[in-house]
Amino acid sequence: MKTFEGFRRCTGPAGVRNWIAVISVMDNCNPVTRTIAQSVAGTIPVTTAFVRGQFGEDLEFALDALAGMGRNPNIAGVLLVGLEESSTEVVASRIRPSGKPVEVVHLQPHGTIQCIAEGTRLASRLALQASRQRRESCPVSELVIGVECGGSDTTSGLSCNPVIGRMADRLIDDGGTVIISETSEFIGAEHLFAARAVDASVASAFRAAVAAMEDMAVRRGVNMRDSQPAPDNKRGGLTTVEEKALGAQAKSGTRPLVGVLGYGQAPVRKGLHFMDAPSAAVENLTAFAIGGCQLICFGTGVGNPIGNMIAPTIKVCGNANTLRTMRDNIDVDVSAIFESSARIADLGDDLFDYVAEVGSGTCVTSEVLNVRETVVSRFERSL
Amino acid sequence: MPRCIVLHPADNVATLIDPAGAGEACTLQGERSGHVTALQDIPFGHKVCIAEISRGAEVFKYGQVIGRATRAITIGEHAHVDNLDSARARGDLQR
Repeated sequence: MKTFEGFRRCTGPAGVRNWIAVISVMDNCNPVTRTIAQSVAGTIPVTTAFVRGQFGEDLEFALDALAGMGRNPNIAGVLLVGLEESSTEVVASRIRPSGKPVEVVHLQPHGTIQCIAEGTRLASRLALQASRQRRESCPVSELVIGVECGGSDTTSGLSCNPVIGRMADRLIDDGGTVIISETSEFIGAEHLFAARAVDASVASAFRAAVAAMEDMAVRRGVNMRDSQPAPDNKRGGLTTVEEKALGAQAKSGTRPLVGVLGYGQAPVRKGLHFMDAPSAAVENLTAFAIGGCQLICFGTGVGNPIGNMIAPTIKVCGNANTLRTMRDNIDVDVSAIFESSARIADLGDDLFDYVAEVGSGTCVTSEVLNVRETVVSRFERSL
Repeated sequence: MPRCIVLHPADNVATLIDPAGAGEACTLQGERSGHVTALQDIPFGHKVCIAEISRGAEVFKYGQVIGRATRAITIGEHAHVDNLDSARARGDLQR
């Protein structure tokens, strides 16, 4: 079985990075979060929007999402930046069972300068402590990899997505886990994917999620076609959501679908899962990070450079034009499929090797250029 | 000569992997062989019709339905948003 050099954790699988996450509990904490993260090497800022003004299930959901990111295996320790103690404590209490250190600072009552000073001190201690840890050999069965497409065009379904699908097959065969998402991008291809479900309840949960998405557009009297496919998808040749979906589902490879996850939910089984989450890249990648993905493979056609802050995002592209104009933001070139009849299976095997390399410390462009963003999805309105 | 890929024998469109100029013969690869002449300029990555499609008929790619023709599409024509529409998530049709 393939291995990678990972960072072991007290509970759960190993991480591929060893960051201290400085996490905002609500949007009014972001300025302090960013300042602390900029001041301390080895930290990443995890900012958020809203939370203040959310209530009921919607608030629970938001606090759960922040805790999920704190629990991600790539995070060695957490500094929570909150406004007041009670909401901060809810998030802290959901991260502490993981065994990783969790510190907290608050804007109240002493204000931002004091908060930055204390937060910087705490984050630096966490970072120094984390720096003592070394990578160890771990089986790839501990990896949970999200597969994503963005800035898709017709080359996506012919090159980067099937290559990612071959990587997915190899990882699952070695006992690992792959999550595919972007619910609205299954419209038109759901019958093919549902046929791979291990049992009727998984098939029907998957179908229900896609049907709910389609139903949302229908109930609003909207033709989805102005947003899905998006204008850049259409410029790249994708005409309908069905065409996009047929190309998108190639990322999932060929192995059976074993589970359906809610937004940000962590898988409890090994194998291929579907996560019901919005399709836009930043939201979708954030949902993967909340659910515990250590890495993401992201196929692009016309070029969408964005990566996730917590889970290093490997960009794969087969469009020779994009590779000429946007090479800085691409990690893996699979245009040989068109230019020299390279085989998808061979490039997929290469990608599997590269995944283990990135898992062992090799950086990707979105990390090095800090082209990374976090957005936790909202499904309700604030007070 | 521009290349276009046919993914399934039932497909009535092919995907260009080179841009095609009006009047240019394009080589078919994949599940069909031969040539099709582009009737207009068709950009890289876009679809060219390879079998007559009547108005309202289903358009096939990957051997699956990708939508319906909103007007008749003839061999060599660019198949995209002006003549091909989705059959799904059509909230506009419920009104």
